Amino acid sequence: MPLSKPKELFEPELTSFADIAILLIIFFILTTTFLVPAGSKLEIPSASSDPAKAEEKQLTVSLAGREVHYGPQGEKVTLEGLRQALLAQNFRAKPAAKRIVIVNSTPDVPYEVYFEVVMAITTADGVLALIEEDEKAKK
Amino acid sequence: MSVRRRKRLKAIVPTTSMADIAFLLNIFFMVTSNFIKEGHIELTQPASPDVAPLKESQISVTVDRNGDLWLQGRPCPVEVLEEGVKALLLEHAEKTVMVKIDKDVRQGKYGPVFLALSRAGAELALLGQKEKAKE
Repeated sequence: MPLSKPKELFEPELTSFADIAILLIIFFILTTTFLVPAGSKLEIPSASSDPAKAEEKQLTVSLAGREVHYGPQGEKVTLEGLRQALLAQNFRAKPAAKRIVIVNSTPDVPYEVYFEVVMAITTADGVLALIEEDEKAKK
Repeated sequence: MSVRRRKRLKAIVPTTSMADIAFLLNIFFMVTSNFIKEGHIELTQPASPDVAPLKESQISVTVDRNGDLWLQGRPCPVEVLEEGVKALLLEHAEKTVMVKIDKDVRQGKYGPVFLALSRAGAELALLGQKEKAKE
C-alpha cells in the first residue's frame, strides 16, 4: 500500500492582502470629510399658535430687503445694533413665553440677512416665532 | 585552526500584523466616514460670527442658489416637504433637521420651507459659516 504524501502547508499570500487593505485606506482617506457642521439650533414654537395675539405682547423684528427694523416704533437698526438690543433684553432670566421674538419679513429678504437676525436672536437666548402668510393676510 | 562560520540570519519582515493594522484602520475609516450626499447641489452658506459647531443630523433640507428645494439630496416640491420630513423623522427617530440655504435666496422661497418644517415638528439646525466678528 502506497504511503500517503505528507500534507503541504498552505500559506496565504499576505503581502497582497496588506496591499489591498492599504489601497482601501487610501480610498477612505481621500473620500472622508472631517467637516463639522456649524450653525445654530432653532427653537420654534408651534406654527398653529395665534400670531396676531402674540404679536401684541412680543418683540418684533421686521425685515424689508436688507433693512432691519426693531423696537416699538420699528426703528431702523444695524445688525450689530439689533444684537446689542436683544442681549439687553436679558432673555435668559425670563420664562420661555416671554422670550419669543417675532420676525416679519417681506418676500425680498435675502437669507443672508435673515440668518444673521436668527443668529442674533438665538445667541441672545430668544425664541424665534414664525408667522404664516395666510394669517398675516387675515389681519 | 578551524574557523567557525556564523550562520547568516534571514531577515524576514512579519507582514501578518501589517495586514491586521491596515484592516483595523479600514474599519475605523468605514465607521467614521460620512459621504457627502449633496456634492451636486450648488450653494454658498451665509456667514455669521455667532455660529457654533453642531451635532450632525441624518436628515437634511437644502435650498440651492436657484431656489430649488432638496430633501436628502433629492429634488422635492415644497408641497410635499412636510410629509416627507415627518416620514424621515419617524424613520430616523430623531427630531433635528439640518437646513442649508444659499445666502442669496429670497424669503419667498425659504419662508414656506421653514413653515413646512415647523409643521412637521422638526427642530431646525441652520447651517452657516463662521465669520470673524467685525471690530
